[in-house]
Amino acid sequence: MATTINALSAENIDPTTPASTAIAVQNLTKWYGPRQALKGISFVIEPGEVVGLLGPNGSGKTTTLRIVTGYLRPTRGSVFVCGVDALENPTGLRSLIGYVPEDIPLYNGMRVQEFLTFIARLKGLGSGEAKRAVAEVAERLGLEPFLKMMIGKLSRGYRQRVALAQALVSDPKVLVLDEPTNGLDPEQIIATRNLIRSLAGVKTVLVASHILAEMEKVADRVMILLNGRLLADRIMVRADKHNRIRLSVSGARDQVEAVIAQVEGVRRVECEGSARNGFATYIVEGESFVEGLAGRLAEALVKHRFMLAELADSSIDLEQIFLDLTRRHKEQDGEGL
Amino acid sequence: MRGFKLLLFKEVKALFSSEIAYVLAAMFLVVMGYTFSVAFFLNRVASLVHLFFQMYVLFLLTVPIITMRLLAEERRLGTLELLLTSPVSEAQIVLAKYCAAMSLIVVMVILSTSYAIVLALFGQPDWGPIYSGYLGLFLLGSALSAIGLLTSSLTANQIVAALASLGIFLLLWAIDDFGLILPDPYDTLVTNLSLSTHFVPFATGSLYLSDAGYYVSLTLLGIFLSVRALGRR
Repeated sequence: MATTINALSAENIDPTTPASTAIAVQNLTKWYGPRQALKGISFVIEPGEVVGLLGPNGSGKTTTLRIVTGYLRPTRGSVFVCGVDALENPTGLRSLIGYVPEDIPLYNGMRVQEFLTFIARLKGLGSGEAKRAVAEVAERLGLEPFLKMMIGKLSRGYRQRVALAQALVSDPKVLVLDEPTNGLDPEQIIATRNLIRSLAGVKTVLVASHILAEMEKVADRVMILLNGRLLADRIMVRADKHNRIRLSVSGARDQVEAVIAQVEGVRRVECEGSARNGFATYIVEGESFVEGLAGRLAEALVKHRFMLAELADSSIDLEQIFLDLTRRHKEQDGEGL
Repeated sequence: MRGFKLLLFKEVKALFSSEIAYVLAAMFLVVMGYTFSVAFFLNRVASLVHLFFQMYVLFLLTVPIITMRLLAEERRLGTLELLLTSPVSEAQIVLAKYCAAMSLIVVMVILSTSYAIVLALFGQPDWGPIYSGYLGLFLLGSALSAIGLLTSSLTANQIVAALASLGIFLLLWAIDDFGLILPDPYDTLVTNLSLSTHFVPFATGSLYLSDAGYYVSLTLLGIFLSVRALGRR
């Protein structure tokens, strides 16, 4: 697990090529009066990545997103989006980004079509282009039957869809979503997740959430923010998903390893620590496309008469990483570091 | 420029699709009609001076209601975040809001020209004071709208915005009285801050560049500070 975490300090970010990156944030600091909301965070997001910004409420997620979208100005630090400097050219920056703020602010007195057309035109689309873009995004998000409805009369789920539609309507390079599944029912949550996943590789997506499970399902990579500090920026969620299995097996270590290594789909096996009560723990890494690996491992071990005490999915556990990092951070703070 | 046009169109549409605009215009016309009739039948003089003073007072009371929602509502709903993350500048947003407020004021002023038409039909009015009075009303409306917009830009609460602008208007309305008790040269300074001091010449047919300059300065100051208020983030 340790290999997947790149504990972070400002120095190990490379700020040299903001033009080739989708979002490059360097040493971002934000003070609200006497309170420091962001304490010098830096990160880089490559084009096409879906990156999650995870942190408890009040950790600085919304502030970060608001600075990236050009709504807030940082006290210090720099933001480049697709090579455009947010501080020098805020208007240029804003035309690159589609943004869904947390509280889904919409004009209740407008009809859905009117609102989406207004936003599309505001983002620089011509009249005909805007019409086409609204029709396309409405079809994609299932909003066609609601185009003539007043926004104020829509349910929460549809309001969220309209908010997503306004972010997508101008076909921006970068999409920034703040808690996009807040207040949605399970079906709507799944639909929103699927939508975000469908954008992977096509658009750069930065999505903030305080819900761990949410991040595991939508993001390729997760950054963890706590009390205005970025604790980790490279927790690879999808790369490591469902291909690590932890086994507790009794028997001679080399024999067990040999049996495991022969199972189809196993890429690597590693014994973790010494045996306890005759059982040793093995971490098995499988190819990411392999399915049914756990079953085949159990079958092979039992067939060779090894005793199997435990078999568990050891794919990355975001919750555990999050807890470990926040604990470590609190300990460091306690030591005055 | 396109952003400005889009925002202006949205604002004007929002303003004229709310009942507030119609209730205000109707109330305005009823009070104007009453004032015009009483002044006309009592004095039997073909003049609109009374009407201009009545409109002056009515503007002090109605402009806060027109301007209170302009930015405060955007702030409360959070839609300001949508606007300010779109490729439009703060100045475009503020100017669009200001022009939208002015559009309603201009409509109200235009409706009130019906009384000038009545005068023209039944008498021979002196048109000079009527033209200058309408110019004064336009400039007054402009200055009040800009101040109203400023208070609306500072809060998310429409009532607070309305009360704050009403307070400023009433203070500027009556501040010339305060000038009477001040020693020279402060008396002149304070008297010249007054909305009334600069409106009376317009209503009575005297045009001074200084009076126009006062209203134009207030307008520019209000717009400038509103842009600054939006820019402070």
